[in-house]
Amino acid sequence: MYEVRFHGRGGQGARMAAEALADAAFLEGNYAMAFPFFGAERRGAPVVAFTRVDKQKIRIRTQIYEPDYVVVLDDKLVDLINITEGLKKGGMAIINSAKKPEDIDLGKKVSTATIDATGISLDVLGVPITNSAILGAFAKATGLLDIDSIKKGIVDMFSMRMDKKLAEKNARAAAIAYDKTIVGTCKAQRTFEKRKMWLPTYKEMPLGLATPPMKTEAGLVGPGSFIENKTGSWRTFKPILDHEKCIMCLFCWFYCPEGCIERVGNTTLKINYDYCKGCGICANECPKNAIEMVRE
Amino acid sequence: MKIKDLSLEELFTSGHTACPGCGGAIVARIAMKVFGKNTCAYFPANCLLVFGGTYPYNAFKVPYLHVLFENSAVCAAGISRALKKLGRDAKTVAFAGDGGTADIGMQSLSGAAERNEDIIYICYDNEAYMNTGIQRSGSTPFGAWTTTTPVGKKIAGKEVFKKDVPRIMMAHDVPYVATASIGYPNDFLNKLEKARDMKGFRYLHVFAPCPTGWRYDPAKTVEIGKLAVECGMWTLYECENGVFRITKKPKLSPVTDYIKLQGRFRHMTEEQVDTLQGWVTEKWEKISGETKG
Ligand SMILES: Cc1ncc(C[n+]2csc(CCOP(=O)(O)OP(=O)(O)O)c2C)c(N)n1
Ligand code: SF4
Repeated sequence: MYEVRFHGRGGQGARMAAEALADAAFLEGNYAMAFPFFGAERRGAPVVAFTRVDKQKIRIRTQIYEPDYVVVLDDKLVDLINITEGLKKGGMAIINSAKKPEDIDLGKKVSTATIDATGISLDVLGVPITNSAILGAFAKATGLLDIDSIKKGIVDMFSMRMDKKLAEKNARAAAIAYDKTIVGTCKAQRTFEKRKMWLPTYKEMPLGLATPPMKTEAGLVGPGSFIENKTGSWRTFKPILDHEKCIMCLFCWFYCPEGCIERVGNTTLKINYDYCKGCGICANECPKNAIEMVRE
Repeated sequence: MKIKDLSLEELFTSGHTACPGCGGAIVARIAMKVFGKNTCAYFPANCLLVFGGTYPYNAFKVPYLHVLFENSAVCAAGISRALKKLGRDAKTVAFAGDGGTADIGMQSLSGAAERNEDIIYICYDNEAYMNTGIQRSGSTPFGAWTTTTPVGKKIAGKEVFKKDVPRIMMAHDVPYVATASIGYPNDFLNKLEKARDMKGFRYLHVFAPCPTGWRYDPAKTVEIGKLAVECGMWTLYECENGVFRITKKPKLSPVTDYIKLQGRFRHMTEEQVDTLQGWVTEKWEKISGETKG
């Protein structure tokens, strides 16, 4: 049996990748299952999905805590979460990144494969949706499946939710990725701290079960505490403001759903990239075209 | 009030987890700027509740309460009365989605309006149940794809028209009912300000495009908020103490200008587009007739 954990962001199609991989394994005569982690995550927020494959009937129905492989659809996640958590000895990480495996720091030396899936999907599909390309890399790096099964799995699963032509384009992205995957070993220079949770007992809860703004060992809680949740890593495109062209009409400041355009006095605007999710509304609405969206 | 007069303080902070380009997040952020610190906020189950706060974290810098899907208006009314008893001068605002307003929350909303409870009720309308993954609501427009109005050979998209909730609220003869769109900042700000300064039941229905559920490029949220008004799919008006007036006359451009940007309408046949256009024209004739006298 082998188990795979996919790390992606809502909307990147981690779940569809997990399903296409299961389909491909099934086509090769295996038993397979795929399922997402159910949560309240929205488009852009970190999510996980799982695939489990075996020669025999699979009886377990739990989430996967100790995967043999982890697949990362968005390399920025590598800096945010410890993606090798629970990874079995001898396991492997397959990462969407333009870097070489040895330039990636996973906090633990593990065998690592990299592929610029974002670049490939932008070329082939025109959008940075990497769930098909990364499967090509999976097939190459692990040698577990034939690339043709992966391509067929992608067409099977993707054409349920989109045009068959687009599904076939996705299969092509996987084939290109297969040829370009680099396998090596990552470096281990940093350490990841376990994320703390604030879990008070009812006796420790503030009066009336309300949560006033408080500092806890897990950081701020209560009103306004989301400020500690830096959403800037969600971005694929970044707004660049040309101060020369700006006439301070403040439309971008008004429309920004994140409130991440700051007014510095009455004369300048400043974009706070810690929170900007790169939606592009500011660039679309600027009457002077003073904001340009550039790829990160 | 103009954009430049708005408070710099962010009472709905950055770091919330809405999808990039969420129209509902714009509504929450701007409304909180206008209402100010002295506000209690109420949320039934919806996207805004989830992206604005997952216990113990929260984006709102004011007292807030998560209430049930079906009773935001009446919970807000209870707190508004309690605050009055305690002699506190604070506003109570309920933020509900269109599902929580047009469908399941309707009875408590209607009751609170009938009793003229002293609250502000904001419905941010993304025209479907987005939080649970895009199911149709009473507020979903004709022809739109959702997961429960799928596109097949016999039926394609929603078969009936959008429920006109603001008109239902007007029939309650409450002090203030208004419609707004995030695409018209000054109009939106004026209405928020009026709602803030009046007493009694105030209802604001704000058009809030949703890139995830409507299938369009997140950068177009505001543009779509504008186009909806221009083509007459959404009309901007207010009814202040019984005086009904249009606040922005639509250009009545063809609805195709609006629907062609959105994946949820992509399958529509010419006949369906004609039906939708007919609905817009008829709706506008009715409204403009009523506001003339
Ligand atoms: C009584 C009840 N039924 C169902 C749900 C599940 N539920 C949570 S949010 C939601 C949809 C909310 O839709 P809407 O009010 O339109 O707001 P949106 O998420 O679209 O912003 C549903 C059905 C619930 N919380 N309570
Ligand atoms: S699904 Fe729509 S309404 Fe909900 S957070 Fe995403 S963009 Fe906003």
